[in-house]
Amino acid sequence: MSPDMSTPATSTAAPAALPTPPVPQGVGSAAAPTPLPLRSAKDSSNGIGTFGVKSGLAQMLKGGVIMDVINPEQARIAEEAGACAVMALERVPADIRREGGVARMSDPDMIKQIVAAVTIPVMAKARIGHFVEAQILQAIGVDYIDESEVLTPADDQYHINKHGFKVPFVCGARDLGEALRRISEGAAMIRTKGEAGTGNVVEAVRHQRAVMSQIRRASVMDDEELYAFAKEIQAPFHLLKETARLKRLPVVNFAAGGVATPADAALMMQLGCDGVFVGSGIFHSGDPAKRARAIVQSVTHYQNPKLLAEVSENLGPAMVGLTIDDNLKGGQFASRGK
Amino acid sequence: MTGFTDDRRKVIGILALQGAFAEHRTALEKLSCHRRLEVILVKTIEDLSRCDALIIPGGESTTIALLARISGLLDPLRQFVKVKPVWGTCAGAILLSQVVENGKKGGQELLGGMDITIARNGWGSQLESFEAELDVQGLNDPKRPFKGIFIRAPVVLKLHQSSEDHPIQVIAQLASELLPPSFDSSDHSDEPKNFVALRQGLHFLTTFHPELTDDNRFHDYFVRECVLGRS
Repeated sequence: MSPDMSTPATSTAAPAALPTPPVPQGVGSAAAPTPLPLRSAKDSSNGIGTFGVKSGLAQMLKGGVIMDVINPEQARIAEEAGACAVMALERVPADIRREGGVARMSDPDMIKQIVAAVTIPVMAKARIGHFVEAQILQAIGVDYIDESEVLTPADDQYHINKHGFKVPFVCGARDLGEALRRISEGAAMIRTKGEAGTGNVVEAVRHQRAVMSQIRRASVMDDEELYAFAKEIQAPFHLLKETARLKRLPVVNFAAGGVATPADAALMMQLGCDGVFVGSGIFHSGDPAKRARAIVQSVTHYQNPKLLAEVSENLGPAMVGLTIDDNLKGGQFASRGK
Repeated sequence: MTGFTDDRRKVIGILALQGAFAEHRTALEKLSCHRRLEVILVKTIEDLSRCDALIIPGGESTTIALLARISGLLDPLRQFVKVKPVWGTCAGAILLSQVVENGKKGGQELLGGMDITIARNGWGSQLESFEAELDVQGLNDPKRPFKGIFIRAPVVLKLHQSSEDHPIQVIAQLASELLPPSFDSSDHSDEPKNFVALRQGLHFLTTFHPELTDDNRFHDYFVRECVLGRS
């Protein structure tokens, strides 16, 4: 990847004539911008649940690792290993894939126990389109909701209208159009979909490359071309135009789905992600605490191959990986939700 | 930022282990005095040794402290804090405090530097995160309120007795009615729980996030008062 993307300005004002130094992609390459005024203007007047605080929390998670955990003990291991947040769920994606059946929101009591066990932010998953699961998760005080294709979708046409919630949402995307559709519905953070529960990073790489490639194309288009491009990728024009100006997504963008090793995590960072979700990859491996810590270090020092080599040593067996094809057990989650 | 060298240029490091460090760099580069500064990201001991001043960004204080320890940065940072200007925002403010309440089970590591006690996640979960206008003192254009963005923000609980030569100054305050209900201090507007930006000598902390706004008056203040002012 070319390391010379310029740093976008954070304001909505025209970029000043300041020389911006060449900086590498990925975390630290670009300040995530301040929220788009169009949407923050509609936010509540008491200052709670504004788009600024929703997207702001995602900005605080940058350069960090968010780990899937299924009980308070795992949550404590994740916190001690340096996770910047945990995702509370009953079954990690690899088990959902193996056991089959309908995967739903987790038991609120289990989530509350995890909230009580750690000081870092706690996320939880709701099914695509299941706005009542989202209401319940907001009521029990989770810090972020993942409207996730890993759970069985509750609505095959519509996603949740996320603007109405005080709690922020993260959503998966396979390309720029999908990312901007989710942001227009109110998502304050985006992640690649990848292919969860496979330990195979190929889909996450495909999705991140698709997003970055489309952003680079859009960034050199004039308005006429942007109108046509917005139609082609089915994205709202104003969000596409803002993305083209910033040369990055207007919200924080994490990698997710298939990250299993420190090298996988650093790969996603070098491809321009702001941070990494690790699902089944940690607690389905031989030595979860050690692997978790190694992945946390790899996300901070993603440009330092010498250190990556050190932290990759003697981690024990990684999770067993799966080939992603038509015979994949449990099917391809990434195709859920458009 | 071309290669001209000037002995008077100060190197400001931004601790870049985890969190919103890129936002601070963008804000510093927009300052009118940015030509007198060189801004670097600090991930190693060698990076830190180049710095004249340091900003510790928002993020997760437990993650930042752990990564600092693994990288061997914890003790060099503690030495740095003793002698050089440091500004902590949110998680960075926690790390700069002497004592933390509501910290991680089993305790968490701090750098010290400011003689205060601070409570993590003082307002509660993300649902209580908010934006509010702040009264500011000492900044450029102090009449204009500053939009403070508080995200799972810490609360200053107590100012410890400080020595004569390093008194703690209050730079920004929050209206009492915005404090969380568990900190009922509506009768004592001068209580530390209202204090959201403090300065002690060369140390500066904000429990909110100036780097998330377009208003760079706090960055200007830190550079002007704590970094350039002492040369």
